Amino acid sequence: MQQQAEITKTPASTTAPTEDEAPALPPLRPALFARYTDLESLRYDYPLVLLETGDGGPLFRPLSRIVDDVLSVAAPPDASGEAMRQQVLRLEARIRRNVALGREGMLSDLWQDNATRMVKESGQSPFGSLGTNLDIARKRLTLDGVVIGCDHTTPGKVVTHTWRAKQNAKARRFRRKVEGLILRLTDILKSDHMKSDEAHSAGALASAMGQDQDSSIDFGSLSRILDRARPEDRLPEDRVRRIKTALEALQCQPFFGPGRATEICRRRPAPYSYTFDSCAAALDALRERLPAILEFTKAVTIAELEVENKYRPDLHDPIFETFDVSDLTADQMELLPGSLILLHDGVTESAEIARAFEALAGGLQITVLIQVDDILGPTSPEPPRNSFGAGTARLASMAMGLNNAFVLQASSAHLYRMQEAFQRGIQHQGPALFSIYSGATRTVPGVPPYVLSAAATESRAFPNFTYDPSAGSDLAARFNLAHNPQVGVDWPEHRLDYETADGERQSEALPFTFADFAIGDVRYQRFCHPAAQDDWTPDMVPFGQAGSGPGAKDRIPEPYVLGLTPENGLLRVGVDDKIVQAAARCNDAWRRLQELAGINNSHALRLLSEERKNREASAIEIAAALPTADATPALPEAPPSPVQLAQEPAPEPTGDDPWIETARCTTCKECTQINSALFKFDENMQAYIADPDAGTYRQIVEAAESCQVSIIHPGQPRNLEEADLDELRERAKPFL
Amino acid sequence: MNASMSQCLMQMVHTDYVIADYQSEIAPRWCTGCGDTAILTAMQRLCRDEQLPPEKTVCVSGIGCASRLPHYMNAYGFHGIHGRALPVAEGIKIRRPDLNVFVTTGDGDCCSIGAAHWLHAIRYNMNMTLLLHDNNVYGLTKKQASPTSPQGMKSNTTPFGATLNPLNPLTVTLGVSNVSFVAQAVDWIPDLLYDILRQAYHHKGFSFVRILQRCPNFMEHRFDDWVRDPSKMRILTHANGLRLKPEVSRVYKNQETHDPLDMPRALALAALKEEIPVGILYRDPTVPCYDELRAGERPSTPGLVELVLNEEFDKVGIWPAETAPAAAGE
Repeated sequence: MQQQAEITKTPASTTAPTEDEAPALPPLRPALFARYTDLESLRYDYPLVLLETGDGGPLFRPLSRIVDDVLSVAAPPDASGEAMRQQVLRLEARIRRNVALGREGMLSDLWQDNATRMVKESGQSPFGSLGTNLDIARKRLTLDGVVIGCDHTTPGKVVTHTWRAKQNAKARRFRRKVEGLILRLTDILKSDHMKSDEAHSAGALASAMGQDQDSSIDFGSLSRILDRARPEDRLPEDRVRRIKTALEALQCQPFFGPGRATEICRRRPAPYSYTFDSCAAALDALRERLPAILEFTKAVTIAELEVENKYRPDLHDPIFETFDVSDLTADQMELLPGSLILLHDGVTESAEIARAFEALAGGLQITVLIQVDDILGPTSPEPPRNSFGAGTARLASMAMGLNNAFVLQASSAHLYRMQEAFQRGIQHQGPALFSIYSGATRTVPGVPPYVLSAAATESRAFPNFTYDPSAGSDLAARFNLAHNPQVGVDWPEHRLDYETADGERQSEALPFTFADFAIGDVRYQRFCHPAAQDDWTPDMVPFGQAGSGPGAKDRIPEPYVLGLTPENGLLRVGVDDKIVQAAARCNDAWRRLQELAGINNSHALRLLSEERKNREASAIEIAAALPTADATPALPEAPPSPVQLAQEPAPEPTGDDPWIETARCTTCKECTQINSALFKFDENMQAYIADPDAGTYRQIVEAAESCQVSIIHPGQPRNLEEADLDELRERAKPFL
Repeated sequence: MNASMSQCLMQMVHTDYVIADYQSEIAPRWCTGCGDTAILTAMQRLCRDEQLPPEKTVCVSGIGCASRLPHYMNAYGFHGIHGRALPVAEGIKIRRPDLNVFVTTGDGDCCSIGAAHWLHAIRYNMNMTLLLHDNNVYGLTKKQASPTSPQGMKSNTTPFGATLNPLNPLTVTLGVSNVSFVAQAVDWIPDLLYDILRQAYHHKGFSFVRILQRCPNFMEHRFDDWVRDPSKMRILTHANGLRLKPEVSRVYKNQETHDPLDMPRALALAALKEEIPVGILYRDPTVPCYDELRAGERPSTPGLVELVLNEEFDKVGIWPAETAPAAAGE
């Protein structure tokens, strides 16, 4: 939030806002808000286009970026494209104004509608330069979606859009899986049917040829010469019944709509609805769906077993007979749609928060949005109201403790910049909590929600962070605080330029603190004491530096922040203890988040200081021991020699016994055909000598001679009585 | 991530396949001493060691001695038409990607009548394993010259000796775009044959394994020089390729370390004349597979097929305005 303001210090010297329709500004605003009263003239992250894209694509994109993309391809980069650039930017400004007035819609419609009006108002022909250029640019629009502004409805719209994208991706996965199973089960039944007498009948054969009444083929004869079905070739009846039951349950599932070309099922009920505005309603609906979930999950599991041919009735029947809720696993539930629960601070009952946390902790497939419109809460205990209270900014931090839920906290102003985190939230398998500050706080009048929500993040009142349990096993991988400005410091600093009463230009680096954020809220203005320059006292110290100035102990400091009058006059605003204490609490919470993110981690700092002390102490010891040290330091041990991976080859058998190099045998069966008792195959179908006495020496020598790869070694004859031994010994020599 | 319920339930069904589970009731009719038996054994060992369910395994073949292999495997088989084993196998794979598809073919079946399918199968790079039984002859038809017969070989069709230089299936395969796995084995070193088949099976893509195979009846002395002299066999080893057992290493000492990603060296090795290279010449697991590229977003259920066909027919149908079919979108 780099801000520059040019402000006169004397209120009287400024001109009042000229636009009558501008909402009344609050009596006090933080000084750094000076330049952000009219957002319509700025190109920023809103209006945001909620993109209709497929799996894994971007979820949303600011209108200004889309227009830039269009211009980069439609308008020539030189001066000849300048006219088109100006015209398209005017169109963009016009759309932005309309969206701010609540006229939201599809980008393509808004573009067309506003372009037509612009051309009409300009008095040009639709075929003039304006109409032609806007039309050329429109044809370059590749993205489309609903255009939304930044107001109290933004968090709901963005999270619903994100949730829908997740459900669409889920629906695709679901249909792929379920239809794959349907296809395979149908295949099994069809192949069984093909073996039946019915499939071989003359009628079936004729119909397989189409409806052309061709009499040239005698289907009756054809049927008679085909094999008759054998009962043992058919599937068992119980298996057919099981497959048909599972098939029907898959075809009639009520969880996702039928999509394109899913099997038509007459008894298919209307798909369930999954969006709720209370946890109680969501849990009731889940209870109602449970029997259908059980039936469907059972069918999927049976189908998976059947297509792998792994269903064994004796093993699996008892399991499916007692299949109940306790058998449902997270991956089975992940296949089914999750619920979206939209909770709204100030609208939903406070007790819903406890229910939401319970549901999240239970690992149910739910996405909860807690929309926060008011961070500061009442300034004093008030009668119970329909609100989550001042702790709303801490709900997401608390949800991190659940450990299994994806948690995202963000202000509306940063949604686009946290798009990647939203995409991770979609991919997370399990519950998710989104806590979003809309910036539409009623007690801060006149400040646009976008500015206020950005200020909430800048002041650390509502920091942006994500906690993604699926990103890794440690906190460093899971927790991300990077989407905050100047994340390493307590309060981010920005430069403020202003003009003094003497017309002198001044520039000052200002921290944007919790106190700056609080002074804009009308409820807190009774704890603020604006002081014009004449009333400034030496006891006034900038907020955050109290207690550190010279002679601080001698006087009570009066912390102040710089504020603005409605006329953009610069004031010092003294802040009360109430605000100082609230700021301290806010700072404390921020430091805790910093520590979680590894910034100024107290454990690490403590270890570091201990290590430093130890090092210093050991350095002193070494220095003291040096004069007497004469022993040469021991050489480091030689690294162990690498393990001998190659095994020693098995020694060749020596002596007089016949043997075979079994590992080289090619299973050619020459030897086993000579004597199948003497030569046998091992478990790898390779020959070995099973019993050297089961045959003659002649057979062994003949086998050695006929062996194609010469791996039979005959050794010496075992029976010295055998005939022609001398001749056989001579023939065996080449193979010994 | 924990196993799903179905996976747990499947694990309850204990299977322990042994080689006999992959042997069919038909005894091999190959001649005694034929190298095809070594290839069949290596296939059955592979199936057993990988515990491939017979009902999830398909062997597809064309025509020839080698193409009889599906008869001897207890698995799904398709003894098809001459040279057309690959189109059939591709159809099976694209419709049933869950099946383990093996194609057995000979040098005539693959490199002559089936040459067009062979080239395109390499380019498609579908996930299957091709075993080219190369005995340099048409053996089933009693000795005719095949595309890989050596020049000068006398046969029934070339009584004065084969006229042309033989075709080298390795260099041809290496030259086709999208090639992802090329290996050469010989039937007389069964350990390496098995190891190469195992690596081919685990490769995701089209694995081309040329297996030099002895024909004891019609090419009886064709490979004698190499069978008898292990030093003429060049064994290609690599950390990402073959690792030799000591028994094999002791006999086959002519070894070369060859990185399977080194295409220029693979081409040089494939073109060796005096020595026979054995091992993985080329392997690139990053080449995309046609079956995955073409996998539809939705399975082609009968409902989808019917709907798409009807939509196409409706495009050319003439409808009275009031009965025009509504667009069936999501």
